[in-house]
Amino acid sequence: MKLGYLRDQGITSPRVIAAIEAVPRDRFVPDESRAAAYDNRPLPIGRGQTISQPYIVAYMTQELDLRSSDRVLEIGTGSGYQTAILAELCAEVYSVEILPSLAERARALLDELGYQRVRTRVGNGRHGWSDYAPFDAVIVTAAADTVPLPLVEQLADGGRMVIPVGPDGGPQELQMVRKSAAGVVSTSPLLPVRFVPLTGAGS
Amino acid sequence: MIDRGPFGHWSLAAVLSLVSASVIAHQIVIMQMLSIAQWDRFASMVISMAMLGFGAAGTVATVFRDRLRRAAGPALMLLCGSTAVAVALTPRLSALPGSFDAFLLFYDPGQTALLAVVYLWYCLPFFFAGLAVTLVFYTRVDRVGLLYAANLGGSGVGAAVVIALLWIVPLDRLPALLALPPAVATVVLMVDRSARADPPRRPWNRALVAVMVGAIGAAIVVAALAPVRAQPSEYKDISAALQLPGATIVHRSTSPHGELSVVRADALRVSPGLSLTYRSEPPVRDAVFVNGDYFGPLLGFDPAADHILGFTTRGLPYAIGSPTSVVVLSAATGTGVSHALSAGARSVVAVEPNRHATGLLAERHPEWIDSLYSDPRVTLAVESPRAFLSRAAPTGGFDLIVASELGSFGGNAGVDSLHDRFDLTLEAFERAWSLLSPAGIIAVTVWTDEPPRLPLRLLATWRRLLDRAGVEEPVDHLIAVRGWATTTFVLSRRPVSDGQIASARRFADAMGFDPLVMRGIDAAERDRYNRLPDDSVFDSVDSLSAGDADAIVAGYDFDIRPARDDRPFFLRFLRLTAIGGLIDAYGRRSVPYLEIGTFLGFLTLIQVIVVATLMIVVPLSGHRFQTGGRLPTLLFFCGTGTGFMLFEIVLIQQLTFLLGQPVYATAAVIAVLLIGSGIGSLLSSRIDAASRFLPRIAGVAAAVLLCYAVALMPLLRFLIAFPVATKIVAVVILLLVPAVVLGMLFPLGLRRLAAGRTDHIPWACAIDSLLSVTAAVAAGLLAVELGFAMVTAVAAAAYGVSAAAATRLGGAAKAGV
Repeated sequence: MKLGYLRDQGITSPRVIAAIEAVPRDRFVPDESRAAAYDNRPLPIGRGQTISQPYIVAYMTQELDLRSSDRVLEIGTGSGYQTAILAELCAEVYSVEILPSLAERARALLDELGYQRVRTRVGNGRHGWSDYAPFDAVIVTAAADTVPLPLVEQLADGGRMVIPVGPDGGPQELQMVRKSAAGVVSTSPLLPVRFVPLTGAGS
Repeated sequence: MIDRGPFGHWSLAAVLSLVSASVIAHQIVIMQMLSIAQWDRFASMVISMAMLGFGAAGTVATVFRDRLRRAAGPALMLLCGSTAVAVALTPRLSALPGSFDAFLLFYDPGQTALLAVVYLWYCLPFFFAGLAVTLVFYTRVDRVGLLYAANLGGSGVGAAVVIALLWIVPLDRLPALLALPPAVATVVLMVDRSARADPPRRPWNRALVAVMVGAIGAAIVVAALAPVRAQPSEYKDISAALQLPGATIVHRSTSPHGELSVVRADALRVSPGLSLTYRSEPPVRDAVFVNGDYFGPLLGFDPAADHILGFTTRGLPYAIGSPTSVVVLSAATGTGVSHALSAGARSVVAVEPNRHATGLLAERHPEWIDSLYSDPRVTLAVESPRAFLSRAAPTGGFDLIVASELGSFGGNAGVDSLHDRFDLTLEAFERAWSLLSPAGIIAVTVWTDEPPRLPLRLLATWRRLLDRAGVEEPVDHLIAVRGWATTTFVLSRRPVSDGQIASARRFADAMGFDPLVMRGIDAAERDRYNRLPDDSVFDSVDSLSAGDADAIVAGYDFDIRPARDDRPFFLRFLRLTAIGGLIDAYGRRSVPYLEIGTFLGFLTLIQVIVVATLMIVVPLSGHRFQTGGRLPTLLFFCGTGTGFMLFEIVLIQQLTFLLGQPVYATAAVIAVLLIGSGIGSLLSSRIDAASRFLPRIAGVAAAVLLCYAVALMPLLRFLIAFPVATKIVAVVILLLVPAVVLGMLFPLGLRRLAAGRTDHIPWACAIDSLLSVTAAVAAGLLAVELGFAMVTAVAAAAYGVSAAAATRLGGAAKAGV
């Protein structure tokens, strides 16, 4: 397994590991980065965006504790790699990308790889995708200044959200946001991270 | 027998003044540049090692003293010229080794090699200048009183002038300018009449002159036409902001307060720990950075809109009351000021010590903050929080004092741990407490830190305040509410009412925050919205607010004792005895990043001690001394070097309290202390070096410093409320007295050596310089551990050692020189 080091770093969920093994990461990186596709580091995918390092992808996915029946919202389609992994694990995946060129490329690749239960659209991720809400889980793959309220509102009772947060353009922290069965929202810190910003441009 | 060398003593005095002025100014400029590129703690480390160049010069002079004396004329010219070249080119040369980043020092071993190269480059100007000074002292010890006075006086003037220059000349242009004085010194030596009277010039002298002039000219031209700007570390706040899409710097200027930058980016939003209930998108605003550290957003003021800070825990004081008279300490870009106005305050005092920033926002570009500082309800006080608190005398008291925020999101790895924070001491909070109206409150917002330290020290400080005020139920005066990023603490002058507690609960519930401290708090309500990985902090909070506070303070893994005016290091938490346990808990590579400022301080001290010891010991090997009596020489100059610099450094820290800004305190102390010492040095020329005066003067120095150890801080507390002019006069008087006494000892000591131990003179210069640098580094760390008064007492003890050694210094000297 090319990503065998993930187990040593605490990725223990068999489902997550199986999903990661099933998705060809090298198809989601530019040709010039293909040789480094399975290295544990982020890689540029153009337009100032990156594909997250395998460990972070695996960690965020594991923290969401996804079930096969879950409906998941992803903010920041990017290369589509995280989207594909979510599609391996869940019933439905909804993914929003603000940059049309990235969204088109990811859509084409996901189609080519046969991920039919994925819906994508171009838009401002801060607003989520209310047409298909509520979601059992939300994963945000770009750093927000604060947790956007629409995403919280579109989270189903009992839902989980993983989101990198970094106020004022400074350091960031991965946060877990939970909505209890009674609708009470709580947050807890996970670990320091560094993501590209959730720009909100074009909103 | 003294070789009087080829130059006249007045020329040499001029040369020493020029070179010393340039090098001390260069030191301050380099400190500023390093503070922009890295952090000021890293700057201190690099500069401390570079200053060892002075000591290295003494060591080299000791080893090669005969050759240097024989070639004193060309050597001196060469050294002055080299100083000019090195001062002009240091910023350029130091950028050559590659991407050195001190932040990685404990993580990437490769940085150590880069650091050694950086040290070497920064060392050069101090080495050349130090060798020139030592050479002059050695060859003209008969005039050492005048020459040492010129040396010190030049340094003092250099320190004062560079502060003025920093206001009017961009920082990156200063190296070229500061290279001019040593260049002029070189010319002075070239045209000195005494030099012409020297035996016929050799042809290589002309060649030397030509090469020297060419090199100096080229270096200054390069520095002037292609200045090198300090590039911030990628770990500074501004670097993260500049990585945002389309980010640009729309304003940049430098001053003694540092480099002020305004960054604009479409994704740069104001979001200081917003509640999850905040419905709008956080507003896009430019942000201000000082030396690359986040200073504040240019939020401005929209009276019609809900204030964004109302959706953070900072809204707590306004949720439990309606303060009409508000003080915002460390107001920065005015976000807290506009918050107060939005909440209905009728008068707001904005206290901000950064004159550079207030000048930009209040005078040059008031539109950037919607002319907030011109609002008739706002009074801008450009002074330190402590100075304001000392002089303020509000009628009826303030309803709310918003103190400086503590920490930052994600923490800053403790880079500020050795910074003095006179605004956060027990005495500062007691003064603020005394200025409150009967129902007044103090509010402090703390960014979440892990492991928890900031909130616990704050509570420990407030608990001590309440105990000293005779309050029987401290928790009755406290409320705190915690969000996902910040916690806001409120200290109320009178017991908080049930109504206020209910309001705090409603506010917290509406915003998704959790109550942390309040009378009658329920354990279940503390961790409802914002879960902590370790809830043991709640027990500590309870003990500090309502239980056995002393037990928690004594038993906690970190030092959370209240900061005091004598030890105002609120951000220093590391217990040296706990490092082993921390390594077990966090890992060897992670522990330095809990408080990197402290680790760098100790790393600096170790480096300096090792290098200084080697440089002092090296000349002792072989048969480099023709005379004995080295122990008294060693002890006397160890005492003068250590005592002077310990005193100088703690003076700078204590005067920061009085003058409000480290940069002004540094300039004032260096200028007055060195000029005063220069006067002392001149006066020493009238004293017979062989007489019994030397040990007596050293004894007087020790006694004077002991008096300062006891009386200085209380005196400064008395003076702080006076106008600036009065403070300046007081500073001059306060510093001149000890300066004159201390300034006599070094030249008298050298003259004592000249009577029978001439070969010790360069070594004595090396010892004095090396111990000065070592003491400068040690002073900061000692002050943290022992307090200012005790460090001053240690300085007095060092002069006591000099007094004892002076009785044997120079052997059985028979006559003065």
